[in-house]
Amino acid sequence: MQILEKSGLEAWKKAKEMKPEKVISLLNKKGLAGRGGACFPAGTKWEFALNSESDKKYVICNADEGEPGTFKDKYIIINNPETLVEGILIACNTIGAKHAYIYLRREYRYLEKNLTKIIKKIIKKADTDIQIDIVLGAGAYICGEETAIIRSIEGRRGQPYYKPPFPAVEGLFGKPTIINNVETLANVPLAIIKDDWNPNLRLFSLSGNLKNPGIYEMPLGTSLKELIALGKPEKSIKAIYFGCAGGCIPFNQEWKIDPEFINSTGCMLGSCTMIAVDESQSIVDIVTIIAKFFEYESCGKCTPCREGSMRILSLLEKISLGYANMDDIKLLEELCCVIRDSSLCGLGQSSTMHILTALKNFREEFEEKCRLR
Amino acid sequence: MPDKLDKIIESKKLLLPILTEIQDRDGYISEDNVRQLSKKTKIPLSEIYGVATFYSFLTTKPEGRNIIHICNSPSCYVNGSLNIIEFIEKELGIKSGQTTEDKLFTLHIGSCIGCCDKAPAMLLNGEVHDKLTEKKIKGIIKKCRS
Repeated sequence: MQILEKSGLEAWKKAKEMKPEKVISLLNKKGLAGRGGACFPAGTKWEFALNSESDKKYVICNADEGEPGTFKDKYIIINNPETLVEGILIACNTIGAKHAYIYLRREYRYLEKNLTKIIKKIIKKADTDIQIDIVLGAGAYICGEETAIIRSIEGRRGQPYYKPPFPAVEGLFGKPTIINNVETLANVPLAIIKDDWNPNLRLFSLSGNLKNPGIYEMPLGTSLKELIALGKPEKSIKAIYFGCAGGCIPFNQEWKIDPEFINSTGCMLGSCTMIAVDESQSIVDIVTIIAKFFEYESCGKCTPCREGSMRILSLLEKISLGYANMDDIKLLEELCCVIRDSSLCGLGQSSTMHILTALKNFREEFEEKCRLR
Repeated sequence: MPDKLDKIIESKKLLLPILTEIQDRDGYISEDNVRQLSKKTKIPLSEIYGVATFYSFLTTKPEGRNIIHICNSPSCYVNGSLNIIEFIEKELGIKSGQTTEDKLFTLHIGSCIGCCDKAPAMLLNGEVHDKLTEKKIKGIIKKCRS
């Protein structure tokens, strides 16, 4: 696997000899896109922070991998922490930061000890005065959102705020800050040092009704058939969920896993999470479970998400228990659109995508529940 | 006690790690601790309380000696987590958010813990237990009780 390759601080040494602008243009030329889900070019993000003048700057490594079904960052932290830490050092050196934080989700606390050891080792080997601290989260899905992560490290409730100002201009403690996902930062040294580094390889987190779930590294453009076959499903697969926030599609074997194509189906590939759901499962039940998740994880700051997620859940419970009629489906759909269009942050905006896509692709399952009435 | 709090503040610096450390020490974040912390850090009481109650792994009430966080996200759900949760609830006689009378267990049904390839899974005092079955649960509970 490409992600398990090591640079052994060769990339750090090379990047240190280069001008920051050159490092950034190299990353952009190589095509390193953010792996947290937004696919924003990493180099461009760094450029904004580089151009923001300030006495202090920060780098945050987002290890708050909370999207249900996702465990690729955990895989990297366990299997290639050296390269991740090297990537953080290169990021700091490029934008001129002396301090970095790794925001590690609380559920992964058992990784903290070894990661601390690796940080010490790599910093010593790299002979740098850059400081890297681990900040442990405390259980909040929203803290994967970049402005919420900033608030959380600052010691406040992890609630997002309106952008601009963007973090690269005014971020942690009011200073220019870049926030990159674990997988993005771990790829930085490899992109810098390896001539044959492939920007299209992604870590897919496969789970659900599969005999061989796990992390699989495959290029974008792979067919759904090929990818899901790796997981060895035992029954016929009905739907694929891109985590909870990414929506669902019917298992159309010929479809290619490509972010633009997935977008065109009304879904989001995001961080390459795929939960395979077989024919024995009820989509209405899964939708209800996911709605419960969003109701629980809504941070409570903006009204559409806070109140809407509760209404959505009660409507879905009504449908799943067979107490609803067809008008309730219409109301559900309308409410989903309002929440999507009026929520403050990505959590709220994407929180109903799974319902809208389920209604589009598996509407008959909802209608059947209502017909019982 | 106050000098110990000073030490925590000095070594952890940021509020979230300070609160985590207090909870590690006491099992929860008491009102008294919040008041003391506010006095020493000049952070308003309301703000500290707001943070202490925002995150699902922080608590302002005492909990059991063994804390279970069991996942009910889709990957675990389609692998039968609901049956496992019902079994635990029956075995312990408590629902999510509750603590057993003997103060031995607290149960939280929560969000994904990132063990989706080994579903269903849970954290027991921060440690992963996966591919859960009723038999496994029985063994885990028995071990905690002995």
